[in-house]
Amino acid sequence: MNDRYIFRYIIILVIVVSVLLSAAAMWLQPYQKRNQENEKRINILKAAGIKDVNNDNAEALFAQHCTAQQDGELPMYIIDNQTTVIPMQGNGLWGSIWGYIAVAADGKTVVGAVFDHKSETPGLGAEITTEGYQKQFSGKTMVKKGETVSVEVDAIAGATRTSKGVENMIEQTLQKYIPYFESHE
Amino acid sequence: MSKNWNLITAPLRKANPVTVLILGICSALAVTAKLKPAIVMALSVTVVTGLSNFIISLLRKGIPAKIRIIVQLIVVATLVILVDQFLKAFMYDVSKQLSVFVGLIITNCIVMGRLEAFAMAHKPWESLLDGLGNGLGYGSILVMVAFCRELFGSGTLLGYQVIPQGLYDFGYINNGLMILPPMALIIIGIIIWLQKPEEDRK
Repeated sequence: MNDRYIFRYIIILVIVVSVLLSAAAMWLQPYQKRNQENEKRINILKAAGIKDVNNDNAEALFAQHCTAQQDGELPMYIIDNQTTVIPMQGNGLWGSIWGYIAVAADGKTVVGAVFDHKSETPGLGAEITTEGYQKQFSGKTMVKKGETVSVEVDAIAGATRTSKGVENMIEQTLQKYIPYFESHE
Repeated sequence: MSKNWNLITAPLRKANPVTVLILGICSALAVTAKLKPAIVMALSVTVVTGLSNFIISLLRKGIPAKIRIIVQLIVVATLVILVDQFLKAFMYDVSKQLSVFVGLIITNCIVMGRLEAFAMAHKPWESLLDGLGNGLGYGSILVMVAFCRELFGSGTLLGYQVIPQGLYDFGYINNGLMILPPMALIIIGIIIWLQKPEEDRK
């Protein structure tokens, strides 16, 4: 087994493997992309309070209820010409957190919110993804404090930093949307 | 037949990769908070150990000895990427729960351990069985641990409520410690403790 054999062996192996992996990636990519898009759709619809959304009906429901819109720099999704769903991004304890918050046509009442996270602690920070935590937001009124607005809910015991992260995320996001809501009142 | 059958059954108990060889503990702690991801992880590892054993065994006479670990790694990594992509395409929610741990199957000592210890010196068919056996041995522990953790930690199994509401009304509380990784280690410890005297007797 001389060096030339080793070189030839490894080159052929690597070519075979890369062809195999590229083929698999090309075959599976449409499915993966659809899953990712559906996840987004499901989250938006859930935030707006539409129930029983799953991977199979998400696309149809989304097309039926939702229109994407842009106000200057600010992206938003309008559900049934009433509810405005706003995407959010922030930081938890271990990594990024994100979600959607839905605001009713009056520009003050929160319809609902969904959150997801990259790597919060299971059982503590990761509880922000549970229905129990998220349903607290339904029906809450945004509280104005000078320039900022916030939504007051119970934090998760033992997950102060994650709860605080959610709070900051909501505050910073909604703040940017104040002019939009005021002009549409 | 019985010898081949033994290749599958031995890793389930007396040569179990987790409880006897103490391999693959890391992922056993990480993915066992709920039963469903544990089952998917168990199947993923079984597919990877089985196929990588089979492929390496097919190649074993041609693999240059100097770079055999690299060749093994390439084969394992390829299979793991395929499994990961497959889960992302067809079982998206589970793949999200498993997150990096599917990718980390590459570093699972069981896989490389079986390639070095078995597949490099045995015929393909036997290697396939040995790989499947070890994957199932690992998976059986995962499922056992996940069963305890989900039942006592969340009161559910596979997401369905199992512990009746009546018990909660009496003041029963889900054990929060069960959801955290240390409890997985303790449960594995208990399984080893239960298994050990029985094996010593033989």
